[in-house]
Amino acid sequence: MVDQNSNYALQTSEVYVHYGKKMAINNVALNFPKNEVTSLIGPSGCGKSTFLRCLNRMNDVIDICNVKGKFLLNGNVDIYSPDIQVETLREKVGMVFQKPNPFPKTIYDNVAYGPKIHGIASSQNELDEIVKDSLHRAGLYEEVKDRMDDIATGLSGGQQQRLCIARAIAIRPEIILMDEPCSALDPIATAKIEDLINELKENYTIIIVTHSMSQASRVSSKTAFFHLGNLVEYGETGKIFTKPDKEQTNDYITGRFG
Amino acid sequence: MSSLEKRLAAEKRFKFYGMFAMTLSLFFVLILMYKIFSTGSGAFVRTTINADVYFDPNFIEVSSNSSKKEIMKASYVNLADQVINQNHPGLDEENFIKVREMYTRKFDYQLRDYIVNNPNVIGKTVNLDISASSDLDQIVKGNYPRNVPEAQRKINDYQLSILDSLDSKGKMSKTFNFWFFTNGDSRDPETAGILGALMGSFYALLICFSFAFPIGLLASVYLEEFVKPGKITDIIEVNINNLAAVPSIVYGLLGLGMLIGVFGMPYQVPLVGGLVLGFMTLPTIIIASRASLRGVPPSIREGALAVGATKMQTVFHHVIPLSLPGTLTGTIIGMAQALGETAPLLLVGMVAFVMEIPGGAFDPATGLPSQIYLWSESAERGFLEKTSAGIMLLLSFLIIMNTVAVLVRRKLEVKW
Repeated sequence: MVDQNSNYALQTSEVYVHYGKKMAINNVALNFPKNEVTSLIGPSGCGKSTFLRCLNRMNDVIDICNVKGKFLLNGNVDIYSPDIQVETLREKVGMVFQKPNPFPKTIYDNVAYGPKIHGIASSQNELDEIVKDSLHRAGLYEEVKDRMDDIATGLSGGQQQRLCIARAIAIRPEIILMDEPCSALDPIATAKIEDLINELKENYTIIIVTHSMSQASRVSSKTAFFHLGNLVEYGETGKIFTKPDKEQTNDYITGRFG
Repeated sequence: MSSLEKRLAAEKRFKFYGMFAMTLSLFFVLILMYKIFSTGSGAFVRTTINADVYFDPNFIEVSSNSSKKEIMKASYVNLADQVINQNHPGLDEENFIKVREMYTRKFDYQLRDYIVNNPNVIGKTVNLDISASSDLDQIVKGNYPRNVPEAQRKINDYQLSILDSLDSKGKMSKTFNFWFFTNGDSRDPETAGILGALMGSFYALLICFSFAFPIGLLASVYLEEFVKPGKITDIIEVNINNLAAVPSIVYGLLGLGMLIGVFGMPYQVPLVGGLVLGFMTLPTIIIASRASLRGVPPSIREGALAVGATKMQTVFHHVIPLSLPGTLTGTIIGMAQALGETAPLLLVGMVAFVMEIPGGAFDPATGLPSQIYLWSESAERGFLEKTSAGIMLLLSFLIIMNTVAVLVRRKLEVKW
C-alpha cells in the first residue's frame, strides 16, 4: 500500500482521531501527490480540519486529542515516530490558518521569525533576501516594500493572509497546509490568494481545506470529500465535481445537504 | 400609569440614586482631602528667628583648615549658647534657658552644617535664619492658642514677650521646610523629616519587585502555558485566589516567624519588609499575569508553533511580550498596595525610631506608612502636621503609581 519511491509528498492510512471518547476521524487513508493541490471538502464538523491538523501535528497541543495511524512524509519518514522532533516536521510542513494571524510585530519580523529560529540564514543579508523572496512569492512584496518596519496588524485582511503565507514559505517547507485560508476575506482578496496557490504549486505540495466548492474546483487537481469523520470519496477534482461515484458526494456538491 | 411610564420612572429614580451615591462619596473624599491638606500644609513651612551669628574662634574647636570630618565631629553647643547671649544680651541663667528653648534644640547642628559648607566663615559675623523650636513654631502658626492661662501653654509669658519683641523688630520669618524632605526622623518635630522612611519604603519596594515580579511571572506562565489543567492546578488556582484575600498582618506574621525566626534574618530592615510585601503582592501579580496571558489569542500561539517554534520559544517570543502590559499593570497596582501596607511592617520591626537615612536594604529603617503611624502616636502638636504631610506624600505616590499603571496599559497594549 505504501509505495517507497512514490510521487507522494505525504501518505496516510488507517488514521483514527478521537477527542476524548468522541470519534472525529474514522479510518481514513489518503495520499497527497507532490506539487499538486489537494482540497478537502465536506460539511462543517466532518473532520477535514482535524485531519489537516494531524499532518503537521498541530493536534498535539490539544490534550484530549488522540491521533492514531500511519503518516509517511516522502515515503519514508513516519511523522508520529518518537524520533521525529515536531519542530523539524513543522519546518517541512507549513500551515496557514483560517483567520489571518500575523504576529503583532513588524512585517519584516513576521517573515524573518521562522528562518531565525531555525537558523536558516547565516547572515543578515541572507535573511533579508529570504524575507524579500518570500514576500515576492506571496505576491505581497510590491505592496509592503516601503513599510517593512510597520506593524503587520495594520495590513488589510487579505494582505495579512498573504503575509502569513510568506511566513509559512520563508522556512522553505515541502508542504503547505491551508485551513480555509479565504473564509475571512472578501472576493478580491480571495481571488489573489487563489492565484497565489496556483503559482505556489510549482514548488510546494498544497493541501487546502475549503468550504467553497467553487474554490476547490478552481485551485485543486485532487479532491477528497469527508463526511462524519469518514473519507467518502477521493479523486480527480474534475471527476468529483462532474460525476462522483458516491451518491452522498453528489448530494453534497449539488447542494442537497451540508 | 402605563407600564412604559412606570419603567421610565424607575430608570429616572435609579439615575437619581446613582447621582446621589456618587455625590456623597465625592463629598467625603473632599472632606478627607481638605482635612489632610489644611493640617499637613503647615509641615512644609518652618518658623525661623533671624540672628547675627559671630563664628567666634574661641568657641569653635576647629579652624577653617580642618578637614570636613573634623568639622562634622566637633561640638558647637557652646557656640550656639554664645550666639543666644549675643542676640539677647543681659539674660540671667533662668531666662537664658527660656530663650534657648525658643530656638531649635538642633541649633548647634545648624551652625555645624553652615561651617561645613562655608569653612572660611570662622571669625566672621553672618546674619542667619535659625530654626525656631516646634512649640514656638506652633504658636506662630496659630496652632497653639495664646489666650489661655500660662500653665496650659508650652510657651510661657516671658517667651511670649521675647517673641513679640522679636516680631516687632522683624526678626521672625517663615521659610520653606526643606528639612522635611532631606532629614530622617527626629525627636524634635521641627527637624523631623520623611526621607528616612521614604528610602526605607523605596528599598522595601525594590526588594518586593525583584522578588515578586519574576516569581509571579514565571509561576503564571508555567500554570497558564505549560502545566496540564487538572485537580492540582484547580487546587492551586483556588489557593492563589484565597491568598490574595489574606489580611496583610498574616503575611507580617509569616515574615516574623519564618524569615526572622527560622532563617535568622535581621529585624527592622527593608530586606525583610520587602520580602513580606513580596509574599503579599505575589498572588496579585500571578492573578493579573494569568488573566493577561489568557488574553493573548490562541491564534498567535498556533502561528508560532506552525513555523516550528518550540513551546518555550512561542511563549517567550510571542505570548509573554503580548501579555506584559497587563502583567505590569497588575504588578504596579500590587506594588502601590504594598507601599501603603502598614501591618506587615509593624510586625517585622520597621516601625522603630530611626534617625539615620538607610543606605541600603540591610540598614534599619521605617517605611512611609509606619512613619506616619509613629508620628500620629507622638504627643507634640508639631508631629500632627508631619503626620498629615506624610499622608499627603504617601497618597501622591499612590496616585503616581496608579497613573503610571494606566499609562503603561494604554501605551503598550496591542490592539487586535
